[in-house]
Amino acid sequence: MTDRLLKRYSYNVTANDFMSAGKGSSAIKSNLKSLGIDSNIIRKIAIISYETEINIVIHSFGGKLHCDIYENKIVIISEDTGPGITDVDMAMKEGFSTATDSVRELGFGAGMGLPNIKKYSDQLEINTSSTGTTIIVTIYL
Amino acid sequence: MNFSIMFDENKCRGCTNCMKRCPTQAIRLIDGKAFINTAKCIHCGECIKICPYNAYTPESIEWYNEMHDSPKKYKIAIPTTSLYGQFPRGTDICKVQNSILKLGFDFVYDASWAADLVAKAIKLKIDKEKTVRPYIATYCPAAVRLIKYRYPSLMDNLILIREPMEIAGILSRERARQKFNLKDEDIQVFYISPCPAKLLAVTNPIGDYKPSVDWVIPLNKIYGELYREVIREDNLTCSYPSLSGMKWAVAGGQSEHAELKNYLAVHGMENIIQILEEIENGKLSDIDYVEASACVNGCVGGTFNVVNPFIATSNINYISNSLEDECINPDIDRFDEMYESGFFNYKLKEEERTGKLNLKEAVERHERIKEICDMLPGLDCGSCGAPTCLAHAEDVYNNESEFYDCVVLRVKK
Repeated sequence: MTDRLLKRYSYNVTANDFMSAGKGSSAIKSNLKSLGIDSNIIRKIAIISYETEINIVIHSFGGKLHCDIYENKIVIISEDTGPGITDVDMAMKEGFSTATDSVRELGFGAGMGLPNIKKYSDQLEINTSSTGTTIIVTIYL
Repeated sequence: MNFSIMFDENKCRGCTNCMKRCPTQAIRLIDGKAFINTAKCIHCGECIKICPYNAYTPESIEWYNEMHDSPKKYKIAIPTTSLYGQFPRGTDICKVQNSILKLGFDFVYDASWAADLVAKAIKLKIDKEKTVRPYIATYCPAAVRLIKYRYPSLMDNLILIREPMEIAGILSRERARQKFNLKDEDIQVFYISPCPAKLLAVTNPIGDYKPSVDWVIPLNKIYGELYREVIREDNLTCSYPSLSGMKWAVAGGQSEHAELKNYLAVHGMENIIQILEEIENGKLSDIDYVEASACVNGCVGGTFNVVNPFIATSNINYISNSLEDECINPDIDRFDEMYESGFFNYKLKEEERTGKLNLKEAVERHERIKEICDMLPGLDCGSCGAPTCLAHAEDVYNNESEFYDCVVLRVKK
């Protein structure tokens, strides 16, 4: 019964709200810390959940960030409504970014989001359409 | 001597200031008096700084007895670099080291001399090893303990190059052994410290080595005696600190000394926590070196200093800007040989691993704590004796506290 969901933590993420960006992922991080999960796993999840959260803020109309805890894995899910990713292959390339100049001026949109998510994940699934995107990232414990 | 923060129960009024300030939530109030959980304490000294009733004293008199009465033949003093920031403008700082001798020491090895060596080693390591970024400095023991307890995944980022205090201890011991044909047991090394955290570095180092320093003397405890010697009109011979090494006392000084171009100096507890969070989120990997000090402005902000940290910073900058560097570093010529032999490197002490995590139980525990916490008022007032409502909920769950210790709920009941 290792694939039973033990707990889901969920956070709303608001589009273009750079003040609150990162709150969801830091709440996930502190929850995982108090669960006593290995610090190297937490670091991977911190990076993944931060990047996915920022992606929702920059590119979508808003969405949710979930962290699902299983006995053998942790799954980060980001669901957003928005225009979707036009070219997933391009988006996976380091340095490729569709972020606007105003976003870049804030220090975001360096084109490392998805490449970093992939780098630290064990499994990555991207479902995207013109109405929104769901990203499912799995890290095995 | 293994715990540096002494506490006077009679002075404590149970005001909760220290408890709320503590970065690792190591303090609780028990029967209206503060109590430090030594296992969680990182010796940062925040409680000493904030206590309005001076209930905490960073004092242990054992060093005093050792300094004056111990039968050991040879006593070495290592003054912290921040010491040079403690004197009024115009003080002849070249008299400081010889004044320390007059207090009853046989030899002074300035921490700034060792810093000269360590800075070179840091530079070489950063230039050579590019896989770890950013490297995090290990010269503030409180910051290192904070990482160990709150950001363990960043332990891999620590730059494991021995600290100047340790290097000074080893080299001065070596000198005493060779010059006076002494045995190691005949030698005692005292570090004149700006903060209580250094004591922890001596009694419980993070590295897998036996520390070369035996005792830590709080700077403020010998300052008065020392200052009287420094200003005395006599012909003490001059002996200089390394002016660049002296800047280790100030935040950013290590990086400047090591001639790093791409570094970040962060100081003050809240600030280093923010930067460590960033690094944990995968940021700042474009920076070579993060210099983190728990105290504001770096070591000059330590609780054992006598002068305000900003004044001390100004003093240090003034000295280094107005004096010619006349320091003759006794060991700098041997640097290459030392570096090649691995003299500066060390490994982290192996820590006991905790048993395998049962995630199901951990989730249940977490949920239960959250349920308790949701019943609490969420004021984080501290009246129950825990720093936050969440901390109280954890204490209740662990049977270390009663639910109705919560004053607000008790009134409503």
